[in-house]
Amino acid sequence: MTDREDPLGGIIEILREPAELKPGLTERVMAEIDRLPPAGVLTASGSVSWWRRPWTIRLTPLRGLGLAAGLAVLVLAVYFGGRRAGSHAAPEVPEAGPATTTGRATQFVLVAPEASAVSVVGDFNDWSMSATPLERAPGDGVWYVTVPLAPGRYRYAFVVNGAIWRSDPEAPAAEDEFGRANSVLTVGGS
Amino acid sequence: MSAKRFGFILVLALLAAPTVARGQEPRLVGRIPDAARARIDSILAAARVRGLPIEPLVDRALEGSAKGAPPAAIIAAVTRLRDELVVVRAAFGETASTAELTAGTSALRAGASAEALARLRKQRPGQPLTVAAAVMADLVAAGVPADTAVGAVLALAHDADDADYLAFRRNVQRDIVLGASPAAALAVRIRFASEAADAPSNIPTTGQSPTPKRKP
Repeated sequence: MTDREDPLGGIIEILREPAELKPGLTERVMAEIDRLPPAGVLTASGSVSWWRRPWTIRLTPLRGLGLAAGLAVLVLAVYFGGRRAGSHAAPEVPEAGPATTTGRATQFVLVAPEASAVSVVGDFNDWSMSATPLERAPGDGVWYVTVPLAPGRYRYAFVVNGAIWRSDPEAPAAEDEFGRANSVLTVGGS
Repeated sequence: MSAKRFGFILVLALLAAPTVARGQEPRLVGRIPDAARARIDSILAAARVRGLPIEPLVDRALEGSAKGAPPAAIIAAVTRLRDELVVVRAAFGETASTAELTAGTSALRAGASAEALARLRKQRPGQPLTVAAAVMADLVAAGVPADTAVGAVLALAHDADDADYLAFRRNVQRDIVLGASPAAALAVRIRFASEAADAPSNIPTTGQSPTPKRKP
């Protein structure tokens, strides 16, 4: 069978012959390669590889401790700052008497011009005479304090000058088993 | 938290640990004589076992201490309150909150029956009972006969929220201060509340159970 009779064999023979390159092609290709930037140099197209490349950070133990302490301070500052911002008491309820309060901030008021000190004691403060002192409004003998309270029913009384027990004239009376009158406060929740 | 505050809390915790470990209520230490405190601690321990809240019991003991009551009177008051909590919890159910139970004991002491409290629970399913029970007690304290006060609170049970109950009680008390008899003041206000809810007034004056109203 001749080449003319077998065209595929002729094509194969042609392809097997070495290609003739133009003179200087190899030099031009190598020159282009030399002009490329070295690996790792930041370019517009190479920024992605810069972010993915691992870093090596060298720290002395002392600087490492300092950095850890700084991070801890930062975390604590964010944490406690957030707590402080979120722990504001409910707006105060500027009511004259506590018995109609439906919120959680409750104002206790007693008019006692002769008193030198007034405190409120009750189920909300372990009946402690030192826990919730009232503040005297300037000039008129009105004593007041605002206490945040959860919904519930609270028995309480005022103590004037550390010794004189007084019920709240603005509030309902409550049952008492110990010989000193109580008042009662109901804080609603719905 | 500052190191100073942390240290303070740590010291308090260390001081309180032995007391707690012995089953003693730390708030009673130094405020109740030792002999009475031991008895009260045993009452508190038994209450814990029964699932009762101890806060109201501790508060009652501290109230007696603050008022200078003798130890026997403090123990008696705590014991009585413990018994009332048992009754109220049976009426309000196992899931009743401490605030509900406390208010319920006040209503019970004011004259509400355990059956009336159970009806209140039934008529306000899923709603808090604290204010409703408290208003029962407050109305009685204002001079309203107990059965009338209980009937009024039950009559409002379907429609009223806490604010409604508080407003109702405030209005009754205002009318009393202005000279109305407690029963008359309550009758007027309950009629007004019923008309506002577009339902006939069915407030009982003898303690019978009122017919439940329906929301309009």
